Amino acid sequence: MSSANGFVSIDNLSRRDAVRRIALALTAAGLGRGIDSASAAEVHEEIEGERTFRGEYTVKYFNEHEFRTLERLSELIVPADEGGPSGRDAGAPEFIDLLSSQNSELARIFSGGILWLDNASDERHGKRFAEAAEPEQTALLDALVDAERHDTADDTNWDTREYRRFEVFGVKSPSDARRGLNFFAWTRKMVVDAYYTSPAGIKDIGFMGNASHTEYEVPQEAIDYAFGRSPFRDA
Amino acid sequence: MADSTYDVVVVGAGAGGGTMARVLAGKGIKVALLEAGPMIDPQKDFKTHKWPHDYGHRAAEPSGKAYFGTGTAFGFFTTVSGGWQLEGEPYTSAPGTSFDWFRSRVVGGRTNHYGRMSFRFSEIDLKPYSRDGIGWDWPISYEDIAPWYDRAEEYIGVTGTVEGIPSAPDGKFHEPPRPKVHELLMREAGKKLGVPFIANRRAVITRSINGRQACHYCGQCGRGCLTESNYSASQVDIFPAMKTGNVTLFTEAMVREVEVDANGLARGVVYIDKNARTEKRVLGRAVVLSASSCETARLMLNSRSKAFPDGIANGSGLVGRYLMDTVGFSLRGTLPALENLPRYDTDGFGGAHLYAPWWLWDGHDKLDFPRGYHIEMGGGFSMPGPGGFGREARAAGYGKELKRMVREQYGCGIGLSGRGEMIPNNQSYMDLDPDVVDRWGIPVPRFHFSFSDYEWKQARHMERTFRDLIEAAGGKVLGIGNLAREREGIAVPGSIIHEVGTVRMGSSPQSSVLNEYCQAHEVRNLFVADGSTFVSNPDKNPTLTINALSWRTAEYLAEELRKGNV
Repeated sequence: MSSANGFVSIDNLSRRDAVRRIALALTAAGLGRGIDSASAAEVHEEIEGERTFRGEYTVKYFNEHEFRTLERLSELIVPADEGGPSGRDAGAPEFIDLLSSQNSELARIFSGGILWLDNASDERHGKRFAEAAEPEQTALLDALVDAERHDTADDTNWDTREYRRFEVFGVKSPSDARRGLNFFAWTRKMVVDAYYTSPAGIKDIGFMGNASHTEYEVPQEAIDYAFGRSPFRDA
Repeated sequence: MADSTYDVVVVGAGAGGGTMARVLAGKGIKVALLEAGPMIDPQKDFKTHKWPHDYGHRAAEPSGKAYFGTGTAFGFFTTVSGGWQLEGEPYTSAPGTSFDWFRSRVVGGRTNHYGRMSFRFSEIDLKPYSRDGIGWDWPISYEDIAPWYDRAEEYIGVTGTVEGIPSAPDGKFHEPPRPKVHELLMREAGKKLGVPFIANRRAVITRSINGRQACHYCGQCGRGCLTESNYSASQVDIFPAMKTGNVTLFTEAMVREVEVDANGLARGVVYIDKNARTEKRVLGRAVVLSASSCETARLMLNSRSKAFPDGIANGSGLVGRYLMDTVGFSLRGTLPALENLPRYDTDGFGGAHLYAPWWLWDGHDKLDFPRGYHIEMGGGFSMPGPGGFGREARAAGYGKELKRMVREQYGCGIGLSGRGEMIPNNQSYMDLDPDVVDRWGIPVPRFHFSFSDYEWKQARHMERTFRDLIEAAGGKVLGIGNLAREREGIAVPGSIIHEVGTVRMGSSPQSSVLNEYCQAHEVRNLFVADGSTFVSNPDKNPTLTINALSWRTAEYLAEELRKGNV
C-alpha cells in the first residue's frame, strides 16, 4: 500500500510550501502522480466515480498500520449486532481515508490521533492500540468517554438566559485522555456517519424514504403509538 | 455588429423575471431574458433520489467541506448555484453592521432550491400603517392583488385548505398531504396554547397540471424536482416560455447598468459577457429589473446619467433604502413520545405538512411588539447524512449502546422556526461601496443593517412560544436551531434570504420609487419585478407575492406596449 509521505506535515506549512514539499517528496519517491489539491475538478470526478465501500476502494492516504487501527476503531465504535454489521463493514475506514487524502486538516487529526492513541496504549498496555486485546482497547475508549463527560459545560456562547444545558459539551478534564478527544470525536463522528449513510445503516434504523408514492400515508399504528405515550393520550 | 433590439429586456431569471418572461412571451412579445449565471439542466444538475453512499464522501462533500462549514448552503444535495459568498463578487458592510447576501446565479435563481412556502399577504399585511401607525401602507389593497394570487396559484400549484383566517387568506389550493405523527403532536400542543396548526401551503402540485406530474412524496424539493412537481421558475416559467420562440435567453450575462436615451427613457442595458469578459448591449422598448432585491437596487444605483446623477429613477433618493429580511429564530427539541416509533416514510412533500399562521393578528394589546410571525416545523425520520446522530453518539459514548440509542432516538427530534415581520427602518439600507468593484468591474453594494426592539422582542416571543409548544407535547428543549446563524438569539440579517424592499412601490414619487404597477415614477418604460418592490415584509415568504405582482406588472406592461404608451 503506497501512502503519500509528506502529506501529514502540510498543516504546519504554508500551502505553497506544502505543495512544493509534496512534489519533492513524490519526485524523491519516484512517483509520477501526487496529490494535486489544486485541481478540484479532477478530485470531483474521482469521488463521484468511486464509492467508499469495503473491497471496492483503494486506500489513498493511510499506511497499513493506520488503516488497520481505523478498522479496529470502526468495529469498536459501531460494532456488529443483531441490527446490522459494523462501521468497518460499512466502509468507515475507507470514508475517512478518502476525505483525509483530500484534506490536510483531517489528515493531521487522524494521523496524529493514531500516534497519540498508540502511545497511550503503549503506556498502559505495552503495545500499540491495534495489537492490544479487546478489553485493553475498550479500557482506553472508556477513558476517552470519561474525559469527554468529565465536564459538560456548554460552549455555545448563547447567553440569553435559558437553555444553557445544550448537549454540546466543552471539555475541561484533567485526564491525559483529553488530548485524544478531538481525534476520538472525529473518528466517532465519521464512523457513525459512514455507518448510517450505508445501505446497512439505513436498514438498521429503518429509514423508509427516498421513495415514490401515489398517495402519502401515515400509519394509524404510528399515530396511536405516539399519542399513547404523549400528554395527549386521552385526547 | 448592431446591438440586438427586443420589445422587453428582462434582467434576472428567477421568480419575478421568469413570470414576466412567460406572461409577455405568451402574448407574442419579444423578450430578451438576461441571467448572470449559467443554464440549468435538471437531468444533469439535480440530485433527485440520490443516496449519500452514491458518493465516496457520503454527502460530506469533497475534502469533507460539510464538516467544516464550508460546504454547499443547505447541504450537498441541495440544488443551488451560489451562496452567501461568491468568488470574485464581494460586498461590504458598514462598520458595526452586517448583512449576509445570498445570490443564486443560475436560470431559475433561488426557486430551484427554495422552501416553496407560499402564503398570500392579507389586507392586514398590506395596510400595516393604517392599523398600528408604524411603517407604510402599500399602494395596493388585497382586492387589487387577489386576482393575481389566483392566477399565480392556479398556474404554479399551491397546496392548502380553506380556513377563513384573516391573517392568512385562502387561495386556489391543491389538496395537501396528511400530517405526520410529530406534526399531529404539535397540533395538539398548539390546541392547548391557542396556536392553530393548519395544512401547509407550498408550491407543490398534488394533482397533475400543465403536463407536470403530481408529487410523488420523495421529500426532496430542495434538490430540484425531475418530475416538475414543484414550482421552479426554470422548469415552470422559463422553459415553457422559451418554447414560444419569443424569448431569447442570455446566460452568463452580468448586467452593469440601464442606459437612458436623450428623453430620459430606458433604451436597454449594458452587460458583461462573463465568458468573453466583454461589455455588450441589449436594447428594448422597455426594461424590467428582476435581478433580486439588492442586485436590482445596485443596478439602479450604478445606472448614472446626466438625467439621473444618483442612479436611474432615484430622484426620491430611496433606491436601496428600507432593506428588510425576515425575523428568524428556531428551537430544537426532542419528543420522548416518539422514541422507538413504528417506522414509516416521513419524507412527504418536501417540507412540513402543517404550519401555524400568525394567530395573534388581533391581539396586539397584549403584546410588546407589532405584527407577527408564522411557525414552520421540522422533524421525522430524515435521510441519514453527515453530522447526524451526533447527540446520541456523544450520549452513548461508543459501542452497542450507541447503536441502541440511535434506534431509540431516531425521529424524535422536533424543530420549530419562527418567520416574522421586520419593520422597515432608517438604519437598514444599502448603497454602493465607494472603493470596491467586483471581478466584472461593477461597484458593489455596501450594507447597513440594524434590527430594532420590535424584532428582538418578537424573537423572544417566538422563543417562549416554541418552548411552551415543545414542553406541552411532553418534550424537552435542546437548544437553538442553528448555533452559527442564531447565536445572538435572532437570525443573522440576510440569512433567512427574504431580503426585500430596496425599490419600493408607493403612490407618491417623493416617498417611493415605483407606482402601484411597479413602474418607475420617473422612467415610464422601466419596471421592477422582484422583492425590491415590497413596502413591508410581512411574515409571509416573499416568492408567491413576487410571482403575483410580476404577473400583474406583465399584464400592465403588455397593455401599455399595445397602446403605445411605452
